[in-house]
Amino acid sequence: MRESYEHCIRCTICVENCPVFKVNPEYPGPKQAGPDAMRFRMEGEKKVDKWINMCTQCRRCEQVCPHDVKPASLILKSQIEYARANGSAPTQVMFSNFHFISHLASFFAPIANLATSMTIVKKMMKIIGLRDDIPFPRFSFKTMQRKKVKPQPGIRKAVFFHGCYLNGNAPDTGRDIVQLMQDMGVEVIIPPQVCCGLPALGNGNEKKAISFAKKNAAVFAEKVNEGYDILYSCTSCGHTLVHSYPELVGEEGKLIADNSWNIYEYMEKLIDENQLKLPEGKMEKTIAYHIPCHLKGTGKPYPVINIFKSIPGVKLHIMDENCCGFSGSYGFKKKNKETTDKLGRIAANALLEVNPDVIISDCGACRMQIENFTDVRICDPADILKESFQ
Amino acid sequence: MKYDVVIIGGGMAGLMSSIYMAEQGFKTAVVSKGDPVCSISTGCIDVAGDFTGIPENHPYGRAGEDKIRLSLDYFKKLMEKEGLPYIGEFLQNRFIYTSIASRRATSMVPLSMAEAHEAKKGSIHIISFKGMKDFFPGYFKGEENNQNISIFDAGSKTTIGIATSFDDLTFREKFFNWIGDQTIDADVIAVPAVLGTKNPQAIIDEIEKISGKKIFEIPTLPPSMPGLRLFRTLKRAASQRGVDLFWGNAISDYTEEKGQIQSLIIDQPGRPTIVESRSFILATGSFVSGGLFAEKTSVRETVFDLNVSIPEGEQRLNDSFFDPGHPLGRAGIAVDEKYKPVNSIMKNLFIGGSILENSQIMKYQCGHGMAIVTGLESAKSCEEYLK
Repeated sequence: MRESYEHCIRCTICVENCPVFKVNPEYPGPKQAGPDAMRFRMEGEKKVDKWINMCTQCRRCEQVCPHDVKPASLILKSQIEYARANGSAPTQVMFSNFHFISHLASFFAPIANLATSMTIVKKMMKIIGLRDDIPFPRFSFKTMQRKKVKPQPGIRKAVFFHGCYLNGNAPDTGRDIVQLMQDMGVEVIIPPQVCCGLPALGNGNEKKAISFAKKNAAVFAEKVNEGYDILYSCTSCGHTLVHSYPELVGEEGKLIADNSWNIYEYMEKLIDENQLKLPEGKMEKTIAYHIPCHLKGTGKPYPVINIFKSIPGVKLHIMDENCCGFSGSYGFKKKNKETTDKLGRIAANALLEVNPDVIISDCGACRMQIENFTDVRICDPADILKESFQ
Repeated sequence: MKYDVVIIGGGMAGLMSSIYMAEQGFKTAVVSKGDPVCSISTGCIDVAGDFTGIPENHPYGRAGEDKIRLSLDYFKKLMEKEGLPYIGEFLQNRFIYTSIASRRATSMVPLSMAEAHEAKKGSIHIISFKGMKDFFPGYFKGEENNQNISIFDAGSKTTIGIATSFDDLTFREKFFNWIGDQTIDADVIAVPAVLGTKNPQAIIDEIEKISGKKIFEIPTLPPSMPGLRLFRTLKRAASQRGVDLFWGNAISDYTEEKGQIQSLIIDQPGRPTIVESRSFILATGSFVSGGLFAEKTSVRETVFDLNVSIPEGEQRLNDSFFDPGHPLGRAGIAVDEKYKPVNSIMKNLFIGGSILENSQIMKYQCGHGMAIVTGLESAKSCEEYLK
């Protein structure tokens, strides 16, 4: 990591691409918060960079740096150091453990959903540093784990990593995705799993993240060794599996990273290998596609685009210049409200400029955020694919 | 998936190549390890400081005047179509102001800088922003100290922050009201280039309407909005024409068979990505962007390890590194008339941009211009090869 930041030539390309920097004058930007500040972060120095937690970890800076510097990774390390030296805020403890909250809330879904909409609970949430002006995501009792799609034998075998959001908050979409893959001839099983670990990392709790990652890696590595591929749909979970697991878990993590596929990337590969043919679809719609930062961060062409291009009648607009500003737990925190709102409005306005019939995005958090700024229908790409194939 | 052509390098030359190839109907991809120098540039197109002084062995010598003219026209039409129009003619340099108040010659400028050409120092009204970083209106004071300056409080001190605010209609309204209250006697207004992250024409029109004066933008130090607007417009243009973008990871290796490059291997977290293609255009730039790497005694080309031509012996050791004519500026890849590297067995590889031998972009002030010309010309050679 040290070597990486010494390659910085201060060109400011990362700064040009930082969403927080453009709307929050308090944040010094990825160049200063990352490589520039490193020389003040020597062993034994007091951790003073309070503003370090203004970074959303969207990782745009890392993708655009032409000199292979990793500002977001440097910042993440400092966020973890900062939490270690200064203790975690209540919201950080809460979101690090979101996995357990999600499980509990799903089990008591009707009560939990009622509670999070009650004034008194909202007041309590505000006291610990949460926002009370946006709806908390609703939980479902019938999680993907509780009501599993029955595996159908196919030409390929895969395990699905659903992550917390699809499992607890949008299990119907999750089941549709699995069914879609199965209809195309891929046998999909859903092994028991925990949170990918990203919320823990983003809230300064590396230990917790490692413990989650190790649990998942053990289960999924065994499946990989049995000949299964790993599929994911949530782009942030996917980014964590591929980018962070090798570092968090080591060898087993590398196995996970090498064998994890975005579902559409996987479809494309099977089409390329002539193992799969898409059903004929039809749909007269203008679609605005909000690209989540963590999909952009894969550094590859967006795989679902080619699939949409093959559907007659679809007019697709790809919007990848704006971060929605929500960034998972970041957007729920009171102190980030202004930054999050400004970025959300910018992203939503850009999407609305093309007069879409529907907005799609792979990321549940992006969808939650954009929903706050528009009445246009917003959903997962899989929802639209399902409709077009019917 | 196998591409017809893969362009390595997402800068001015590479993006122009990719847009041209995609328009001819080829399945095209760009591989770039990050954003290019273009995105922090002034956004102006320098074609040549003094065209008559450029030697025959310069890439312009190979292209010739007609092709240079054609390429620049192609660029101008493209920018017009993409909503960020440029003005200026080949061989007729025009002036812009820099943020240290000096005048600088360039060839083509975005419309927002057009009025700078005629403006005289001392008769410009500067509008700037409270506490703005790296922009000092005092520099613009004329000898008679008659410079008028108005300062607006934008609530942000950075080019990116202020430009983002200008994208917001409420902020614009506030700014327009403020402009209406200013007394402006000078003939023309100048403002640092922060009038929005996209084409600022609508804002400029409104200010001209309110003040009755012409207005122009002054490019700033990076982060530079005109450079970013240019780069984002080109990248978007490529993407809309169906060009696939592999962005953010470097090429670690390639495969070759019988003098044909088969595929590139991009190293990244997880599985490496393999990009197969029938042909390749190398447009990785020179030292700053990492296309060339200077070792103690030699210069390396970083993707295919091609033979790099460098000035011999003593010349190379010339230690006045900030001399625009430093011999190392001549280092690069020697190509034949088809933009194929000489001294290389690769039959399906073409070279464009500042990685070409003898480009000396500092000395001849030909950066973006040469990138446009050789980007398009190398693409045309590649097109011929593919047909």
